[in-house]
Amino acid sequence: MNKILNNSRLFFHGALLSYIALFHWLRPMTYLATKVVSPLFQILFFTLLGMYATGRENAHFYIIGNAIQVAALSGIYGVTFSISGDRWEGTLAYLFGTPANRLVLFVGRAFMHVIDGMFGIVIGLTWGALLLRLDLSKTDPVALALTIFITTLSTSGMGLLLGCMSLLTRNVMFINNTVYFLLLVFAGVNIPVSSLPLWMQPLSYALPMTRGIAAARAIIAGESLKSVAPLLNSELLLGGVYIFAGYLFFRWFEYQAKRRGTLEVM
Amino acid sequence: MNIIEVDHLKRIFKANIGIIRRKTKEVIAVDDISFEINPGELFGLLGPNGAGKTTTVKMLTTLLIPTSGTARIFDKDIVKDADDIRSQIGFIFGGERGLYWRLSGIDNLRYFATLYHVEPEVSKKRIPYLLELVGLSDRGKEKVEGYSRGMKQRLHIARTLLHDPEVLFLDEPTIGLDPVGARETRQVIRDLQEEKKTILLTTHYMFEADALCNRIAVINHGKIIALDTPEALKGHVQDLSVIEVEVYGVPPDTVERLKSFPFVDLVSVEDRDQKQALRVHSARGSEIIPDLLSALDGIRVGRVSVHEPTLEDAYVRLVGAAT
Repeated sequence: MNKILNNSRLFFHGALLSYIALFHWLRPMTYLATKVVSPLFQILFFTLLGMYATGRENAHFYIIGNAIQVAALSGIYGVTFSISGDRWEGTLAYLFGTPANRLVLFVGRAFMHVIDGMFGIVIGLTWGALLLRLDLSKTDPVALALTIFITTLSTSGMGLLLGCMSLLTRNVMFINNTVYFLLLVFAGVNIPVSSLPLWMQPLSYALPMTRGIAAARAIIAGESLKSVAPLLNSELLLGGVYIFAGYLFFRWFEYQAKRRGTLEVM
Repeated sequence: MNIIEVDHLKRIFKANIGIIRRKTKEVIAVDDISFEINPGELFGLLGPNGAGKTTTVKMLTTLLIPTSGTARIFDKDIVKDADDIRSQIGFIFGGERGLYWRLSGIDNLRYFATLYHVEPEVSKKRIPYLLELVGLSDRGKEKVEGYSRGMKQRLHIARTLLHDPEVLFLDEPTIGLDPVGARETRQVIRDLQEEKKTILLTTHYMFEADALCNRIAVINHGKIIALDTPEALKGHVQDLSVIEVEVYGVPPDTVERLKSFPFVDLVSVEDRDQKQALRVHSARGSEIIPDLLSALDGIRVGRVSVHEPTLEDAYVRLVGAAT
């Protein structure tokens, strides 16, 4: 019981404090620019381009796809930095010297970014409704909230894996940028997965977000939670696989760093 | 029973050199060292840069796996029982890094209290107590980025005491501190000693080791070359006097010539701003001063003094003999 209490404290309290510790540079203006203004221009750019290319009636496809993809800002960039940031701060050795449960510590780092990512999607959809007349009248809000949560969670799972990889390389931003644009191309954000060349489609389904975006489009079009359940289950499972792979990588890194004496190597 | 037992501990680092024809170079950082530390003892590990002090501390704090040999803390193995050991030890490494600069001092302590599973009711009382202990009570709510180097170092000490560990590893805790900061940190270490904490302190400041440690191991090139009380170590140079001559720009060949004199046991040079302190160890004491001054002919010479050997002199002799 005591162990559960300690770990839940580590998860929530640790998540909040590590978020403040590593992301306090996000001043209100920087935060607004990153989370509110930048997504607006991404949504506007791709929606207007899509409307020009395929017609006004397809606007919702681009609005929803890009609004959901905004979660990658938190899920990929934010989560990656929440892991690699400790190396830059020089706190990694002190973390590894504590008896803290590594799984709780590791997954806790993503927690605030899941909330942040969900907030980002809500902002994106709000922009779509306000400026581009996205119709949300048939949407089940609970189903949409669950879809947003699962999609952000699975994206953050991938962020955790990338964060661990960033412990081995200085080129964190290169990896993050590549994955961000990979999602933009392959996750069905602007191009339906079925329109991609056949050999590319397996990659789409190996990425987080693909199923989440499809589910969000279906729910906003008026479908029920039950009908998108298979998509959400697969998205959740994929997120779990990424989280588990990231955790194994994290433990492997810790062991190798102790074996080879590379804990402080940057 | 000893709290820390180190038995033939060895650590080799491997480095790859070259891109096409890669070669692996092996560096022996710690070479077959053994020692024990008693409960409540303040044990010093003294040695020059690169001697193996930090590597030893990293192995004992479970952050580095030894190449061979064993070490036990509370009779638990540092590799097999690392998780158990972590909750019973505290450690700091010298320098400013290792704290979250954008958090306040209090929030840094709160976060590490969570990592060490300190109950909230306990940490509520313990954090103010520790801030008081390290003299940061009035600055605890400020962000660490505004702290001086000494304040950061003292916050590190507070952090390592959060879970009230019995054993502390302090790796060069006063490095880079100004004299006032270093003195304050030494006072904190003395207070911890009075609380009967078992402490392993590494330093290359002789007077610090002399003033604080119950026993000292002198380590050089990864090997322990002497292990005794500060007084006994000084006994290594009891037969000698040290003649210190202030000089302004002594050339290396003059130092080499002095070393070749039959009455000279050891010569060391320490930079002091624009001048140097030339320290000559000799069994003949002050009577060698005229010969010394004539050997320094043509070099600007300042004050000349003769004094009893210090721990530093013993250290220089031990390390010099082992080189």
